Amino acid sequence: MEQLLEILEEIRPDLDFVGCQDLIDGHHLNSLDIISIVAEIEDAFDVTVPTVEVIPHNFNSAQNLWAMIQRLQEEG
Amino acid sequence: MASYFSPQYLALLLPATVGLYAITPHRARRVILLLASYVFFWAVSGSLIVYLLFSTLSIHHLGLWLELTARNGKEKLALAESDQRKAIRAGIQRQQRGIILLAVVIHIGLLLTLKYSHFFLSNGNALLRFLHMPAILPVPSFLLPIGISFYTLQAVSYLIDVYRGKIPADHNLFRLALFLGFFPQMMEGPICRYEQTAQRLWEAPPMCWNNFLLGGQRILWGIIKKMVVADRLNIFILNVFSDYDQYNGSIIAVAAICYTIQLYMDFSGTIDVALGSAQLFGVALPENFQRPFFSRTISEFWQRWHITLGTWFKDYIFYPVSMSKPMKKLTSKARKRFGPRYGPILTSSVALLCVWLCNGLWHGSAWNYIFFGLYHFALIFAGNLVQPLVLTVTERLHINRNHIAYRLMQTLRTCILVCIGELFFRAEGLKNGLKMAWRMVTDWSFTPILKGNLFAYGIDGPDTVLVVLFLVLLLVVGILQERGVKLGEALVSKSWPVRIAVYYAATCFLVIFGAYGIGYIPVDPIYAGF
Repeated sequence: MEQLLEILEEIRPDLDFVGCQDLIDGHHLNSLDIISIVAEIEDAFDVTVPTVEVIPHNFNSAQNLWAMIQRLQEEG
Repeated sequence: MASYFSPQYLALLLPATVGLYAITPHRARRVILLLASYVFFWAVSGSLIVYLLFSTLSIHHLGLWLELTARNGKEKLALAESDQRKAIRAGIQRQQRGIILLAVVIHIGLLLTLKYSHFFLSNGNALLRFLHMPAILPVPSFLLPIGISFYTLQAVSYLIDVYRGKIPADHNLFRLALFLGFFPQMMEGPICRYEQTAQRLWEAPPMCWNNFLLGGQRILWGIIKKMVVADRLNIFILNVFSDYDQYNGSIIAVAAICYTIQLYMDFSGTIDVALGSAQLFGVALPENFQRPFFSRTISEFWQRWHITLGTWFKDYIFYPVSMSKPMKKLTSKARKRFGPRYGPILTSSVALLCVWLCNGLWHGSAWNYIFFGLYHFALIFAGNLVQPLVLTVTERLHINRNHIAYRLMQTLRTCILVCIGELFFRAEGLKNGLKMAWRMVTDWSFTPILKGNLFAYGIDGPDTVLVVLFLVLLLVVGILQERGVKLGEALVSKSWPVRIAVYYAATCFLVIFGAYGIGYIPVDPIYAGF
């Protein structure tokens, strides 16, 4: 989780990823941020994020992102 | 039945459907909705309803085909040895991609043929003439069925979602028909996803008083927006845009602002009527607007304006292109070369360009729409590029980016950029749009506005005051909504004397201040033309 927060803060240093629960619904992240996050996550955690996973729920908070990463790792 | 604001819709089709729906037994209610939808389509587009029927049959069949391919594949996988499974999976994916390609060729091909063949072929002829060759390409002209740009996107999204395994293929042809053809969404959207509306429509819930009030209120609010503001501004806008060379740059700027307001009032008003109509039957269509003029950037504006079109492009063009294997490889190389911030910006610009070209073209087959798309692409791309610099500069200068003054400055800048884009969107051709913009730069003077000349061009002083007051009301409503206040629900929860007083006042306001009758020309439904 700490590694994920580091990645997120590097991409958008102006956002509070620990507390924010509406990163997408609150219009804090745009599609470019999401592409950058996906690219970083794939490199750092050795997972492939398919297009179907790019939904607001998965990107609304760091916790949800972490849950998605763990699920993708389990699915192999 | 030219629009959702016509007496035929508001006084005949909608009340008749509501009445029949209310007295019909549960299982037959869905039939009433489907019949009403086809009556509506027939009343607007006549025999062109065959296109809608064809699209419905086509997605039903292709969805089942996708499902059958997946099922057969699973059976093969269950029987296969582990070393054969990879090849079988690849085979299934190839087959399913073939079906999706066929679906795109059929549906997008039909849309391209009906809507764009005239544009592409006449431009082809212009190119041939430019090359001193005979213009031999035949230029056909097709009648467009109403809503084809909207229901085609719904059809394609349904099939792609089945392919992605997000939803199962629907075996029920009539449920799909209702999802695709539901009359409140047909003319101007919102562009719904299968999982958002199909099942709820098919359930055909019983009418309830709460939904009836919420739906009715929303319809009334939509009519007020359209008739009090959009129609009131119409003559002024028609005058300036059709004869722009007679006007000073400042008048053209005011016309561009007025058109932006008109477009918002007309489109969001129509969406209010569509959502309100659906709510009468207990169906919640997705919201299409979220106070777009509160946006601080152009990127945010497009997350709040025509939301269902933006999310469609994002889900079915932007992410599939930017997350495709070649693009991911390119992004990875670009990140190493240009850094983690600028690398993705550069590579995602390819997907962004595809989105904005499609967005421009979706709005119409003319160069000014393509320019409109590219204009927004350039703004968003530039915004992404300078964002890190802005963050650094504001931090060094100790500027609080969340200060109200800074946020207002950002919002004002966004509104100005939007109005410039809408000038090209409304202009009668790209050349005229460029000339109007040039006039704003080279022939600018505040004198015509200060002297009150504006009031001679189709909008007078009282009209202006009324529009400004209504915009202030809209601003207050917007601020409350941004703070999470649900005004519709709040009104419904009031006692009936209060509600009746508000409804009566709103109706009187519409009757007294609606721009109709002699001296006014109602605006045609702008987005229905797309």
